[in-house]
Amino acid sequence: MTISKRRLVTATGLLITTLSTSLLAPSIAFSAEEGSAVAEGKSLAFSRKKGNCLACHMMGDGQSPGNIAPPLIAMKARYPDKAKLRAQIWDATAMNPDSPMPPFGKHQVISESELDKIVEYVWTL
Amino acid sequence: MKKILLMSVSMLTALVISGAVMASPEEDRAIFQKYFKERFPAVPTEEFANGVYSIDPVGRENWEAIEEFPPYETFIDAGQEMWEKPFANGKTYKDCFPDGPAIAGKYPHWDKKKGSVITLPMALNACLKANGEKPLKYKKGPINNILSYIAYESRGQVTNVVIPKDDPRAMEAYEMGKKFYFTKRGQLNFSCANCHLQNAGMRLRTEILSPALGHTTHFPVYRSKWGTVGSLHRRFTGCNKQVRAKPFKAHGEEYRNLEYFLTYQSNGLELNGPGARK
Amino acid sequence: MQKTKYLGILVLATILIGGIGCATAGSEKSAAMKTEMTADGAKQAIAAAKAAQKKAASVSGEWRDTGKIIKAAEKALKEGDVKTAIKLANKARVQGERGYEQMMAQKDLRLPAYFK
Repeated sequence: MTISKRRLVTATGLLITTLSTSLLAPSIAFSAEEGSAVAEGKSLAFSRKKGNCLACHMMGDGQSPGNIAPPLIAMKARYPDKAKLRAQIWDATAMNPDSPMPPFGKHQVISESELDKIVEYVWTL
Repeated sequence: MKKILLMSVSMLTALVISGAVMASPEEDRAIFQKYFKERFPAVPTEEFANGVYSIDPVGRENWEAIEEFPPYETFIDAGQEMWEKPFANGKTYKDCFPDGPAIAGKYPHWDKKKGSVITLPMALNACLKANGEKPLKYKKGPINNILSYIAYESRGQVTNVVIPKDDPRAMEAYEMGKKFYFTKRGQLNFSCANCHLQNAGMRLRTEILSPALGHTTHFPVYRSKWGTVGSLHRRFTGCNKQVRAKPFKAHGEEYRNLEYFLTYQSNGLELNGPGARK
Repeated sequence: MQKTKYLGILVLATILIGGIGCATAGSEKSAAMKTEMTADGAKQAIAAAKAAQKKAASVSGEWRDTGKIIKAAEKALKEGDVKTAIKLANKARVQGERGYEQMMAQKDLRLPAYFK
């Protein structure tokens, strides 16, 4: 990619970010910023009303995690394909009908965009 | 003649096949008890009557301290008053339950005439109605007093739920309770079995999931979370809400069949209610 | 990493220019878009939510909050907030549909592998 092209894209990106911030819900604007998606994903994952992942999983620096499910570590190695990780959180019972994990996406416990952010965070673990 | 023979042979075959597919309640209970024996080899079966404290040594210490001054005592006393106080017609509960007040071990049972599982709270309300009294509310309030008194007087009785063979509807009720137990429900998609069988003893955050075996022995329980004594069906309601399912009616068909199935699995365990829980 | 980021922006740009303004076009969302943003549209959405709730309840599959969400939708409609009313009604309808499907998928008792 040449520098000029890159600048053009960045400029478009900036424009789009501004546009999207004004036009769309702020949640979508965040997808342009990976860093904040990770941070937001973390707070969604830790929130008792949203992901509540700590109820069952040890993860990151989360306090008093449960031990029902495997610790969330080495996620990139376990899920080289991010889409597979997303599918697992969307509905774990598709892979294993006995899985006690709630189908967070399928049952809309969290929205699709919230799920995206949680995936971004979990993939960093 | 040949036709009749053929028919009876095919009927017999069908009977054998259906019997092989559907596990009997006895087989279910054997699996249940073996499951917990293998999962908690150091815990003797009779210990499961103590619920989660059979497998949680830290929680047990607190519990034993609480049991020195039981928080359910005043409820037992209030229940005894209810038991003894005559109805407007001069009769008492004793007239409905000549063996009372130690009758907890008789419930739940199958009532052939009514074609339904009868739970202790249902029997108490039937007694009130038969005597022209207003039935008690099932989940909260004074019903828990009289249940506490009856549970206390029944301590030492042994869980012994019978599924009579002479009424196929009893077996049907049991099967419905079993289906309920293993059905994932609510937005969070948990079955009873997911937490209390599959993950019994594991930690949900800091809470240890209680084992299904022994779940029914100690009700009603004083729960610190409730700040009062509550019944088994109130607890069912709470569990269903936690998985974000709409709870069912206390002592409605779903919960009473569930109680029938669940209590049956603890056959042989001692009744030790009322209990105290977090 | 950088490339995906730019790609993401481009995708977003395309979506924005395309005027869809909706990154995830699930089946529910397309159904939601068909609903007219009018009081009548909201009434229809609420009626559909109630029907789905009833259908789920008929197989013991109603979820905890569906009724509450429908009530909130009705309140929003009363206050003239058609958009919120439709959004909530659609959410409740999907809950009813999922609850029904959940029970239908478990119509026959399947004992889990750990119960052996």
